[in-house]
Amino acid sequence: MQTLKNIEHDRMTGLKVLVIGGGVGGIRAALDLAESRRNVILIDTSYSIGGLMTRLDRTFPTNNCDLCTVSPHLSESSRQVYLDLKPMTRLETLTGEAGQFKATLVTEPRYIDMEKCTACGECYKQFPGAVRFTPGLDPRAPTCMRYPQATPYAFSIDMDKVTDIKALQKVCKADAILAQDQQQTAVVDVASVVLSMGAELFAPAVLEHFGGGRFDNVVTTLEYERIMSASGPFQGDLVRVSDRKRPKKVAWIQCVGSRGINKGDVPYCSSACCMISLKEAMVTKERFAENIETTIFYMDMRTFGKDYELYLDRAKNDYGIRMIRSRPHSIVEEAGTKNLAITYALEDETLQKTEEFDMVVLSVGFRVPGSSVDLARRIGVDLNAHDFIRADHFNPVVTSRPGVYVCGVAQSPKDIPETMVQASAAAGMAASNLPAAVDLPETELDFVPEKDVSGQAPRIGVFICDCGLEIGGVVDVGKMVEFSKAQPQVVVAKAVGYGCSSESMLLIEEAVKGNDLNRVVIGGCSPRTHETKFQDLLRRSGLNKYLVEIVNLRDQNTWTHMNQPKEALDKSFHLLSAGISGVAKNRPLMDQTLPMSRNALVIGGGVTGMTAALQLADQGVKVYLVEKNSTLGGLAKSIRRTIEGEDVGLFMARLAEQVSVHKNIMVLTDTIIVDHSGVPGRFKTGLQTGLRMNYMQVDHGVTIFAVGALPNRPDAYGLGIHQGIVTQLELDAVMEDHPEKIKAMSQVVMIQCAGSREPENPNCSRVCCQAAVKNALRMKTLNPDLEIFILYRDIRTYGFYEDYYRQARNMGVHFIRFSLDNKPEVWIENDRISVFTEDGILGRKIQFEPDCLALSTGMKADDETTEDLAMMFHLPRTGDHFFLEDHVKLRPVDMSVRGIFIAGTARSPKTIPESITEAHAAACRAQALLAKKEINLGAAVAKVDGTKCAACLICVRACPFSIPFINEDGYSQIDPAQCRGCGVCAAECPAKAIQLLAFEDDQIMAKVDGLFGGLN
Amino acid sequence: MITAEQKPLEEIIAYIEPYDRIFLVGCNECVTVCAAGGRKEVGLLASALRLNSMKQGKTIEIKEITLERQCDPEYVEELASDINRTDAVLSMACGCGVQTLAGRYKEMPIFPAVNTLFMGASESQGIWAERCRGCGDCLLGITGGICPVARCSKSLFNGPCGGTCSGKCEISPEVDCAWCLIWERLKALGMEKRYEELMEAKDWRPSGGGGPRKIVRKDLVL
Amino acid sequence: MKNFEPEIVAFCCHYCAYTAADMAGSKRLSYPPNVKIIRVPCTGKVDALHMMRAFEKGADGVYVAGCLEGDCHFKNGNTRAGQRVAYVQKILEDLGIEPQRLEMIMMSAGMGERFARTAFEFTEKIRELGPCPVKPIKK
Repeated sequence: MQTLKNIEHDRMTGLKVLVIGGGVGGIRAALDLAESRRNVILIDTSYSIGGLMTRLDRTFPTNNCDLCTVSPHLSESSRQVYLDLKPMTRLETLTGEAGQFKATLVTEPRYIDMEKCTACGECYKQFPGAVRFTPGLDPRAPTCMRYPQATPYAFSIDMDKVTDIKALQKVCKADAILAQDQQQTAVVDVASVVLSMGAELFAPAVLEHFGGGRFDNVVTTLEYERIMSASGPFQGDLVRVSDRKRPKKVAWIQCVGSRGINKGDVPYCSSACCMISLKEAMVTKERFAENIETTIFYMDMRTFGKDYELYLDRAKNDYGIRMIRSRPHSIVEEAGTKNLAITYALEDETLQKTEEFDMVVLSVGFRVPGSSVDLARRIGVDLNAHDFIRADHFNPVVTSRPGVYVCGVAQSPKDIPETMVQASAAAGMAASNLPAAVDLPETELDFVPEKDVSGQAPRIGVFICDCGLEIGGVVDVGKMVEFSKAQPQVVVAKAVGYGCSSESMLLIEEAVKGNDLNRVVIGGCSPRTHETKFQDLLRRSGLNKYLVEIVNLRDQNTWTHMNQPKEALDKSFHLLSAGISGVAKNRPLMDQTLPMSRNALVIGGGVTGMTAALQLADQGVKVYLVEKNSTLGGLAKSIRRTIEGEDVGLFMARLAEQVSVHKNIMVLTDTIIVDHSGVPGRFKTGLQTGLRMNYMQVDHGVTIFAVGALPNRPDAYGLGIHQGIVTQLELDAVMEDHPEKIKAMSQVVMIQCAGSREPENPNCSRVCCQAAVKNALRMKTLNPDLEIFILYRDIRTYGFYEDYYRQARNMGVHFIRFSLDNKPEVWIENDRISVFTEDGILGRKIQFEPDCLALSTGMKADDETTEDLAMMFHLPRTGDHFFLEDHVKLRPVDMSVRGIFIAGTARSPKTIPESITEAHAAACRAQALLAKKEINLGAAVAKVDGTKCAACLICVRACPFSIPFINEDGYSQIDPAQCRGCGVCAAECPAKAIQLLAFEDDQIMAKVDGLFGGLN
Repeated sequence: MITAEQKPLEEIIAYIEPYDRIFLVGCNECVTVCAAGGRKEVGLLASALRLNSMKQGKTIEIKEITLERQCDPEYVEELASDINRTDAVLSMACGCGVQTLAGRYKEMPIFPAVNTLFMGASESQGIWAERCRGCGDCLLGITGGICPVARCSKSLFNGPCGGTCSGKCEISPEVDCAWCLIWERLKALGMEKRYEELMEAKDWRPSGGGGPRKIVRKDLVL
Repeated sequence: MKNFEPEIVAFCCHYCAYTAADMAGSKRLSYPPNVKIIRVPCTGKVDALHMMRAFEKGADGVYVAGCLEGDCHFKNGNTRAGQRVAYVQKILEDLGIEPQRLEMIMMSAGMGERFARTAFEFTEKIRELGPCPVKPIKK
């Protein structure tokens, strides 16, 4: 299929983007680029792709296995045109500059010809020592992804372990083993590079006090995942390694190797581990037994992500997970039982306690592998103090070398959603080194016109693969051919060897044309992997692609019943019969397509909206940027400096200037949205603009919501009643405009979580801990004698912000903890502020009389704005009124309505660099949609027969996506552009007025009939 | 809407036991909406009856059809061409539909497959509740839009009986006391005074007490 | 009855059970060949009529295999299917057919072992029950 690559397109661009690292971040970036019709090379040093995520059992916060959701709607052919996957490959050198790099790629020998390999696994079975195969360890990567071919069936040969190459070659019926395979070096032209190497997890074997890897029942969080996983060492049974018994008490120890300064430690926070441990503890209770006692030992519980605080609340309140704020020094193994003793101290008690656990899980964080450091040095990309890729302070996907971008854990420790956001952002940035997407020529493959088969009686051709011995070795293909020939309406039946090989495909094509066939059955492997391939074949043969049916004779028959050949043959008759009677009912279907409006509407003129608008405009997209206030800038305007000391005002002024003068951006200030209609790719939105509120309507293919959030001003701790009581934002302004005031102060108190993590606003505002530390550090610089006390609940300086937290402590900033049920009190007497708080160490209340009390008030959603827009655009919101993305893990900037994206603080509280990253991510996802002239919606959509509809409303109520409505003519109408094709409405309709195309009732019934037809 | 529920299979099977060729007739109106006798229920019942006959070791032929409305003679006429090739008709419509069929096809045994229950409204998907008894003299205008005839277990007219308790009727904690609802609603409307006014004994003749009812619209009669 | 080989139809969701079945194949896990799969885009598409049809045509057992609770690609198609299965079980019971012949099963795409085990367990269960009391009459 690679030969189909469009020559014209190659000539036009000549350039590709190189993505390094095949974890979720790299896959996301590569697919985003391919979806927007950019050529991508995805390389990984491993012989399969999937990265760390594929080894997780389930992911938070949904506790689901989600990997399959990552893949976009991308047809096999266009994926093959744009995406070039090179496992076992590394980037050796990178010369030249952005837009015209020369990349030297070195590919290690696999000793297997991937073109010939059928992934039968025979070599692995017979030479398990010499053949490597990842799916055995984790089956998800190749099978769960929607496009299994994107992840080569990961067989490779370890030539050092091969003793008899002839014998190995002999077992391969496809003749795919290349004994002479050699390391290959290629130089390719690339316009830009995306680094997504990820990281390793810390191996705690160096920690003697935790057993140094010798204790059977001490595992890492990742090992615990593997134990719980259905594909893990105990088939998903949670048992102890030592005695295979179900543990009754499991403990997690947080920050193992992270946030430390001792042997083996790194000083930064690994960001994701708190949530991972919470998830594991919850899944333990949920899946295995309520009564397993789960305990988490932690320093600060860092659940700062979107709705993560609610997850923590659930863990504590609903699941009864025990949380102990203590960092245990060591683990002692009991000799006989192999139980584990942990000694710890509680905050409010002076005595130490010792407790025994059946299992201890070490929550280990991320480490940069040496190979990433080497790569960065080879290609001249700067590293930071912790050896992660050094990133731009405003745009964290930009590295020190122009044209090279970074995403995911290679840049800083983070969880999957943030990796996804950065991956899309990096993809978007990388694409900006290529010609604009809208200028690319269409590359859809040209097929011959479709023959009209309506009204023709079915003329069916049945083609049966032997797949080498995979099918043919178990059942007699000849008998299946004979059987098929005898079925009604079958005109030809043939054995075709490897049906998916190019010779066989040609043979089938000729048979279709020569016999005037109008339906095709392929007896072979799974339609999941090969349907699109044969659909393309039908199109080449002049038939509608929905006139083919794939009968799964291999994966679901000969592979599972290889020891019962007689029964397998009988079953293949049944399956073929079902396929034949089913295909007779197949109808030609049109994929739903709509011409695309290539304009974008960006709502919100803050830092997020402006960044997204600029990125799209630079790619040739016409952007309407709508801001309800009279100037651009949003909330970021009131922030003066970032924690790194960057001047935000200057940055914002430049951004606003660029946006205002851009020829592709129409800035509409004083503008509100008043109505909205249309379908993805063809939206129409009504605006009222200017002082006179003139009405105008804009056409746009995509919408980006960047409406931001509001600074919270809770009625708490005396805010607003004394001029010395301010928010962190106000303090920021004082420092910038009146540093003399800071110099005149002798004591400052800060209170964290003011109005956040409380019942009325339960989530964490994320930015306040670093903001408090930032302001404290700046005050200390201005006035080193100033006493600063920060009263906090958990310090959440995730990632590298931990460095600033440590710096603040080193500079003498005092941190005093309080709890929600014992909050500080603020009194004002004779115009003096008094703050009282309980000191856990002293065990009594202490009093401050600060010159300034700064409250970390964080952000809250702009309820009014998000409510109005949510109603108009049919978008879901969270309980605390932020917009709710389509998939919290894997599609963080996509909304459930296609063509609508969110970014910035409209999604959840975040910092300026994080908002900028999301803006780029949303712009990239939007571009992927805009890259096509038409929007293809597939054919499996629900269709209503108005004459049968009783307007009973069940489809309206039952549709999971609220698509059907009762139209003016009084019957149900389902917009094919919005239907997702689940078929729930069709199955519920009491009037049988709805059919799901491609899965109509008569097709399913015909298959049922076929299964039993004439065989009983 | 008229609501109905499928009869127990056993009863339906007993009706059609003597026959080999059944005309199973659904209706695309109320019984479709309340999932008792639309095209889908016709399919399911046909399937169940076929399974039953297989179990008995006999062959049964079921012809399925769903009429737009079984209570109108024109729609019922659609059966005429095939009726002679069947032995009995099984109707999944309400009683009105069954009788329309019986009136038209006098030679043919006609059996009901559903029990017609009440005039009701959909509370939410899958739940229907009685709202009207067709008493012929609507009181909703003075009872705050809540019907004491249909919704009070005793059809009381002047406030609740002693069986009301915390807003529920004594017959079941699931059943709201209609008079509590009426009171709350009148209060919300600022019409508490209405509640004080005594209602006279109701004339039950328009509700059927005077024999079968009929509407004749002279202007519409052709 | 020991030699009785039941006919079993499994309606499998493309996103989970069908994938799990493929996975059972690629791992060469054996399960009884009695189980034959019909692929659907979501178990939410499986109509009560389809389940009944399978029994009419001679199935001894039928199961609908969808995604894990909360894991449906279409939000709740699997729970809708579960409710329908319960409804059809009642019809079967009224007809004197053991309702256990119909079942709703949930699994994720990664659960090849579970697919194989379920297929085995269900087949054994039906084998215990014996042939469906209703069989198409041979012409």
